[in-house]
Parts: sequence; C-alpha cells; structure tokens
Amino acid sequence: MIEIKNLCKNYGDRPAIRNLNFSVKKGEVVGFLGPNGAGKSTTMKIITGYMAPSSGEVRVAGFDVFESPLEVKRRIGYLPETPPVYSDMYVLDYLRFVANLKGVPRERVESAAAGAIEKTGLGDVRKRMIGNLSKGYRQRVGLAQALVSDPEILILDEPTVGLDPKQMAEIRQLIRQLKGQHTIVLSTHILPEVQASCEKVIIINAGQIVAEDSLSGLSKRMSGGGHSVTVKVLRNQDAVAKSLASVGGVLKVRNTGNFIELECDGSETTIEKVAAHVVQSGAGLIELQVQSLALEDIFIKLTSKELTH
Amino acid sequence: MRAVLTLAGKDLRNLLTSPMFYVISGLCSVLWTYAYLRAFLSFAERTRAFMQPGMEGGMNLQREVFLMHISQINLLYVFVVPALTMRLLAEEKRFRTFDLLLTSPITSTHIALGKFLAGMGAVTALTAISFIYPLATRGVAEFPMAPLLAAYAGVFLVSGAYVAVGLFASSLTESVMLSVILGLIFNISLWFISQGMAGDASPMVAAVLEYLSLGQHFLGFIMGSVKLASVVFLCSVIGLFVFLTQRVVESARWR
Repeated sequence: MIEIKNLCKNYGDRPAIRNLNFSVKKGEVVGFLGPNGAGKSTTMKIITGYMAPSSGEVRVAGFDVFESPLEVKRRIGYLPETPPVYSDMYVLDYLRFVANLKGVPRERVESAAAGAIEKTGLGDVRKRMIGNLSKGYRQRVGLAQALVSDPEILILDEPTVGLDPKQMAEIRQLIRQLKGQHTIVLSTHILPEVQASCEKVIIINAGQIVAEDSLSGLSKRMSGGGHSVTVKVLRNQDAVAKSLASVGGVLKVRNTGNFIELECDGSETTIEKVAAHVVQSGAGLIELQVQSLALEDIFIKLTSKELTH
Repeated sequence: MRAVLTLAGKDLRNLLTSPMFYVISGLCSVLWTYAYLRAFLSFAERTRAFMQPGMEGGMNLQREVFLMHISQINLLYVFVVPALTMRLLAEEKRFRTFDLLLTSPITSTHIALGKFLAGMGAVTALTAISFIYPLATRGVAEFPMAPLLAAYAGVFLVSGAYVAVGLFASSLTESVMLSVILGLIFNISLWFISQGMAGDASPMVAAVLEYLSLGQHFLGFIMGSVKLASVVFLCSVIGLFVFLTQRVVESARWR
C-alpha cells in the first residue's frame, strides 16, 4: 500500500531523514517508533504529500506522491501532531467542511460526518464549539477529521500525545477498532501504545531505520531467545542465590537484596527446574516472574547504540 | 470548483460572523453617516441658494456628494480591508489548520481562489452597506443611476485589489499583526506609487508610474466613466496578487 524507496530529506544542511526504505502492506497496522526528532513526522508529512522530499520515491496505492498528489491525498486520512481543527467552528459543521474538502460525494457528506462522529464517540459534543472542548475531545475531533472520508490509509502522528491516561486508553481502543478497515501508520515515542495497537514496528533513529520487524520477532531477536527470571523468597536468600547457580540452564545469578535475578536460556524446563529447586530448598518462594525483553529495553538498546557510533 | 466554494463558504461565514466584521462595519457606518449627512445637507443648502430666481441649472449630486462618499469608502478600505483579510492564511498557519488544507485533495490554486472569494464576499457586504446612502438619497432627490453604478464598479474592483493584496500579505506570515501592517503598506504603496517622483523622473517614467497608480484609475470610475484600460489594470492587479499568494502557498511544500 505504501512503498518508500531511498527517501531523503534535508532541512537546509541538516539531514532529517537519510535513505529510508520500507513498505506497508494493505491492512497492516504499523508502529513508527523513535525518539523525539528522529524524523517520524517528516516521513509522515512526505507520505501525505504535505512536503516534498529532497530525493527518493514514495508510492501510495500505486500512485507516485509527487506525480499524482491529488490521487494520493484522496486515499489518505492524516492526523498531524496538532489536530487541525478550527476553534470557532462547531464539531458537526467542521466535519461537514472536511468531508466537502476531501471530495466526499455531496449526497454522502451528511452520512460521512455522522459516521465519523459515531466512530469517535463525539455524539454528545457534536453541536459544541471545538474551541470549548477539552484536549482529549479535540484530539478525537482530529481523528474524526482523518476518518470522515473513509480513507484506505490512516496516518496518525502521535495521536495520544498530551492526553491523560484514560483518554489515551480510549484513543488506543479506538485505533484497535479501526484495525482491519484501514491500513494504519502510527507514530509515537510512547512504547505501550505500540504494544497495544500495532502488529509491525519500525524503529527509526537519527533519520535511519534501525529495526523493522513484528513485535514478537523483535523481542525474540534482541534478547537472543533468552529470558530473565526474578525470584523472591522469604528466608535464606543468599544461600538460595548461591545454590541456584548450579542449576542447569542458568547462565548468571545476581542477588540484588530484594530479589534474585537470573539469566537463563529460553527453555521452559530450565524455569521449571529453577522453581523446583527453590521450593525444595524450603526458603519460602513467594514470587517467580519470567520476563522476555520488553520493548522499552529493545528501544533503548537500538537507539542508544546508534548514538554511540 | 467545489473545493474553492467549500473553502470560500467556510471562510466567508467565519468572517461575517466574527466580532471583527461587526466592529468594522459599525465604525465605518458611523463615519459614513456623519460625513455623508454633512455633505448632503450642505449640498441641499447650496442648491436652494442656486434655485433662487435668476440662477439657472442645478448642481451635480454625483460630483458634490457621491464623489466625497466614494473617496471616503476607498480611504477607509485602505485600512480596513487588511484587517478583514489578515486572518485568512496567517491564522491557518498559526493554528496548524494549514496542514489540513495541504493534505486535502485540493491544489494551491483552489486555496488561493477560495480565500480570495471569501475576502471579496466580506468586503462586498461592507460595500453594500455603503450603497444604502446613495440609495436612500433617491427617496428625496432625482439623479441618474449610471454614473453612480460606474463609481461602484470602481469601488468593487479597487476593493478586490485590496483583498488580493491583503491575502498575499496574510500568506507571508504567521503573525496576524504583521499581516495587517504588510497589507497596509502594500495598499498605500499601490496608491501613492506615482507620488514623490515628481520633478526628478523622466516624463516616461512618470507616465508609467502614473499608469501603475490605483488613484488614477479609480478617479476615472468616480467621475462616472468606465475605461477598459482601468478595468484591465485592476483585474491584473487582482490576478497578480492572487497568483503570488498561490506561489507562497505552494512553496510550503518545498520548504
């Protein structure tokens, strides 16, 4: 659906993105991840035809963004970082305006606006002035704006930034509901957001892609297939820690004081052995937790590795 | 076409419902009423004096009253139109709603034209208010309509030039304040382009500058004559500034 080849963009002398290559298939939900200033917004703006790249090629639904920008724009719903809403318009009027602007057939404008309001749960506020709405609602109006023309592709630039946790959860819920109806590209620097809604992750840092994989694939690859296990016991913690080192499959033991941290190979039998060992030692097992490498750790590993080059 | 009308409709409604428009049209009517009434009453006074036995022929309402009224409309428009057009693009940029326009399936030309039509609509509404004065005069005096309509055609075209200039000023900046000031300076320059060159300019330069000055063309209209050269000139000014606006809007994609 979206194909990007050798994309570069410079702001003056400063390169914002360098030689980006990736593609998004129809129906995929892709998380576009990176620290602030990595080039996420720039990439998205180029895909939407908002700005031109310095070099490279972008194709959306088979159309070149620069040769037929109107065809591309007709197929994209875009929510920029700041929702592009007029504070002195009513929600319903605004959505009608956007539907007209996006070229929704005249007789379908009303139903399109009503549909977008229903999807984003704006029913209660549809006759209110946008300027008087809370930030969360304004963000939803922004999302409704992107949805109103029922585009094949949704590009959402940090859709939950600045919202409170409840509003964030609502927007994420909404994005999950949209899965399957649209191809979605979602940028963020908030990791739980990606874990909550995306199937595929592209991590970008300093204008370059540092990883592109499915969520589970990424996690497996980065941890080298291993697990870390934390064990908490009531008594004799030091003795247990020492004896655990002799269990087969345990690679490293660290006694942190509050709990014991183990690094093991990925197999489940090792974990079973560890559990049995602690129980048999009679130390009073109260907690045993298996963690695969979290996205957060992957993210930090990837983006800081790049910085130390 | 639909995109242009959608944009123009939204912005026109926005302009006509803004407090700004009411303040401006209110203040303008106060000024117009004061000056028009004074000119008209003194005209009536003098006409009565002329009507004494032995004095032949009436005085010309067009020249004595309407000319003053219309030059005053023009004078106010130099200042007022930039205030009406200041928000058209500057505010879109400032509040990031420009992103919506630039990612919608419309071209920069649609944006420039839509915005121009909206500004034109608002200014024409103001012009319509000013037209009430001569129209009301028809209730108490007889006068030929044609020269008055010619004069108003001039007002329409000149205000179009101010709108185009104001729109261009608005496209250059994110600051509404700066947009007004720029618009004002452009308007005044267009008006006074032929002044201040007297003496040290060659006759040919002076003639060219005079042709480029709004004042000369506008004067023709007020006197009741519609010259093709003037119509073409004013339309080109409008076209030029709408075109420049379109270029500035388009440039947002390349920066």
